[in-house]
Amino acid sequence: MNLMPSRTDLKVEAEPAAKSAIPMIEIDHVSQVFQTSSRQDHLALSDISLTIDDGAFVSILGPSGCGKSTLLYIVGGFLNPTQGVARMKGNPITGPGPDRGPVFQEFALFPWKSVLGNVMYGPRQQGVKAADAEAQGRALIEMVGLKGFEDFYPKELSGGMKQRVALARTLAYHPAVLLMDEPFGALDAHTRTRLQNDLLNIWERDRKTVLFVTHSVDEAVFLSDKVVMMSRSPGRIKQIIDIDLPRPRRRTELLLDPRYQKYVVEIERMFDDAGDDELRP
Amino acid sequence: MTLRTLIERLAPLLACVGLLTLWQVAALGLNNDSFPTALDSVRAVPAILGDKEALINILASLRRMAIGFAAAVLVSIPLGLLMGRSRGVASFFNPLLMVIYPVPKAALMPIIMLWLGVGDLSKTLVIFLGVSLPVIYHSFEGAKAVEEKMLWSGAAMGLSAMQRLIRIVLPAALPEILTGCRTGLVLALITMVTSEMIARQSGAGNILFNALDMGQYDTVYAMIIIIGAMGICLDAAFERMRERLVRWSEPQFDIPLSFS
Amino acid sequence: MNGRAITTDVLLGLVPIALLVAVWQGTVSFGLAPATLLPPPGLVFMRMAQQLTSASFNRDILATLLRLFAGFSIAVVLGIAIGLAAAVSPAINAAVRPVVRVLAPLPKVALYPALLLLLGFGHESKITLVAADAMFPILLSTYYGASIVEQKLIWSAMAAGTPPRAILFKVILPAAAPSILTGCRIGLVISCIVVFLAEMITSTDGLGHALITAARTFQAVDMFVPLITISLLGLILNGLLQAARSYLLRGFPEV
Repeated sequence: MNLMPSRTDLKVEAEPAAKSAIPMIEIDHVSQVFQTSSRQDHLALSDISLTIDDGAFVSILGPSGCGKSTLLYIVGGFLNPTQGVARMKGNPITGPGPDRGPVFQEFALFPWKSVLGNVMYGPRQQGVKAADAEAQGRALIEMVGLKGFEDFYPKELSGGMKQRVALARTLAYHPAVLLMDEPFGALDAHTRTRLQNDLLNIWERDRKTVLFVTHSVDEAVFLSDKVVMMSRSPGRIKQIIDIDLPRPRRRTELLLDPRYQKYVVEIERMFDDAGDDELRP
Repeated sequence: MTLRTLIERLAPLLACVGLLTLWQVAALGLNNDSFPTALDSVRAVPAILGDKEALINILASLRRMAIGFAAAVLVSIPLGLLMGRSRGVASFFNPLLMVIYPVPKAALMPIIMLWLGVGDLSKTLVIFLGVSLPVIYHSFEGAKAVEEKMLWSGAAMGLSAMQRLIRIVLPAALPEILTGCRTGLVLALITMVTSEMIARQSGAGNILFNALDMGQYDTVYAMIIIIGAMGICLDAAFERMRERLVRWSEPQFDIPLSFS
Repeated sequence: MNGRAITTDVLLGLVPIALLVAVWQGTVSFGLAPATLLPPPGLVFMRMAQQLTSASFNRDILATLLRLFAGFSIAVVLGIAIGLAAAVSPAINAAVRPVVRVLAPLPKVALYPALLLLLGFGHESKITLVAADAMFPILLSTYYGASIVEQKLIWSAMAAGTPPRAILFKVILPAAAPSILTGCRIGLVISCIVVFLAEMITSTDGLGHALITAARTFQAVDMFVPLITISLLGLILNGLLQAARSYLLRGFPEV
């Protein structure tokens, strides 16, 4: 296998047309314009088109301000695109829903509810009986490694623990797609690597579709099947790179794996080559 | 319990005693007929509380205050929440509220008395108006500050807009709302007293000024002590309840009317 | 916020006020309330314009303003001084804290009869009452603002050689300024309210007194005028304070 692919090999690649399944997420010529305080319009995203297949772990990677979170929010239905449309399984996305579950960098836990209360929230909302929701909740809390903390309140938890709760809370209502917005960005390096490992372990169980926003190159390469590289001002897709590394992935093994290293170096080089005009605000 | 914590707990009590002592000393020093000593005034308190007429008046005051406060809270919290989450609603009500704010609600008493007579309704209405403003304002600020991502998480779980308002915005803003209610409580007491001082028909404020007119200075100061005690007790009780309701919240400060 | 949004906000905000005036006028025109109880808005505004040129009314306004400013100034000086002292000195803190806890929830207007007995029926009693009421929010917000000043700011100044006493004025006071000014705003509103109320209860002059006089003589029009005047005064003073705040806090991040 050629591990030093030339630029052309890394070009935009959709799945082969032989797959008859409708893509899980389809972003169709989406653009997003924001009005800023100085009365000027800011083009955050420019003509983004992307398809994401069922069960794929896709990272959206780029510098801050490139619109990657905006793209995620559009898929989540929290923002309506100025132009274009996002679809899930062929149906246009018009608003948020339990089929696309978000996990935010700020955790966004409900502070007045305990850990268990937070995790049970979604299922209860969907009509699951209290006893069942509680049992499922406890199982999930154990799965994310927080057994024993069910009755704690968010204010008593560390950042890493809060993010585990946030993950459990979203998984509790079984979304088909996980939308993760730089979920480990507010955590220290050690906690971050632990959570990356734990996330992959959890994901391996049922292989949901994941859209993962990050600005960390090694995080993107470590976690994903595909890395969508974005440039900014305005946000556009630069490249889409398939990460052909075997799963399950262990961080300690991967760090020493030359294939992993080459992916990271190539991507970083591509960002460097973009030049100074990328750095202009 | 260490000596230190004991002193801390008793500090307000010690402060009361200290202030009363100061009063006693000053009164003895000034030796003015219109400034009775603390002891004399305190001695007059049971006389007032024992007097059926006075007791009925005081209880009537408290009743008016309770009704005005409750009605204000029931109306103001939803209004403040809506204002906090909807730019349109906020823009609509904000200027109106800003104009009404500096007007002392008790000052509306004469006009309201012209319209509604001197009875309970006018006084309760004024208390209602006085309490509404801080509660609206704090509910508004609290609702505005609710993290957007929390609401998005709720939306992803399938909550409708109204459900989000009641089940996410309201609890999330509750600490701030309760601070507003605490301010409102103090204002209710103040408005009650002043409206009675102006309307002079019944109530604690009325007793106060009647005593003043009749030169019963002991009674005047005794009533001050009673009203002051009402204020302190209500505030302390409210604060205890507030702590219990929002035990889950990060400690927050606003500018209520005291250290909490 | 862009220009379009601001104008829509302003227009939207004028609606309830305009509606109120319209309802007011309507109630009068349709005879739903006798003119003795509810004079038409036009009449009120005309009377107000008249009063604003009359010497006696202007004397009333001046009396009210005098008491307002005097009381407010005392409250500001005392509030900031005690608040800062309590924030930097644990001893003062221990002494002040319980006293404030006891005095703050007290309706200080209940002390007004005592003040009348001790200080007479003139300016002094009202100024004292205003100061007593306005001082607490200023004290509390100063204390809060001063106690949350980032330790690193103080350390930076110390490393640069600032003597400890100067740190209070060069670091802590400016850093606490946003909080202090918020407290002052609340104190100002309270001052407006209290001075008016005190004049209503007993006084020989002032806006509050004007309202009571009009009430006693059943002059409904003359009752509205002082109310609207104090409301406008409050708005103007608040606006001035906000302007001062913007100027004083020009370097600060958006608060």
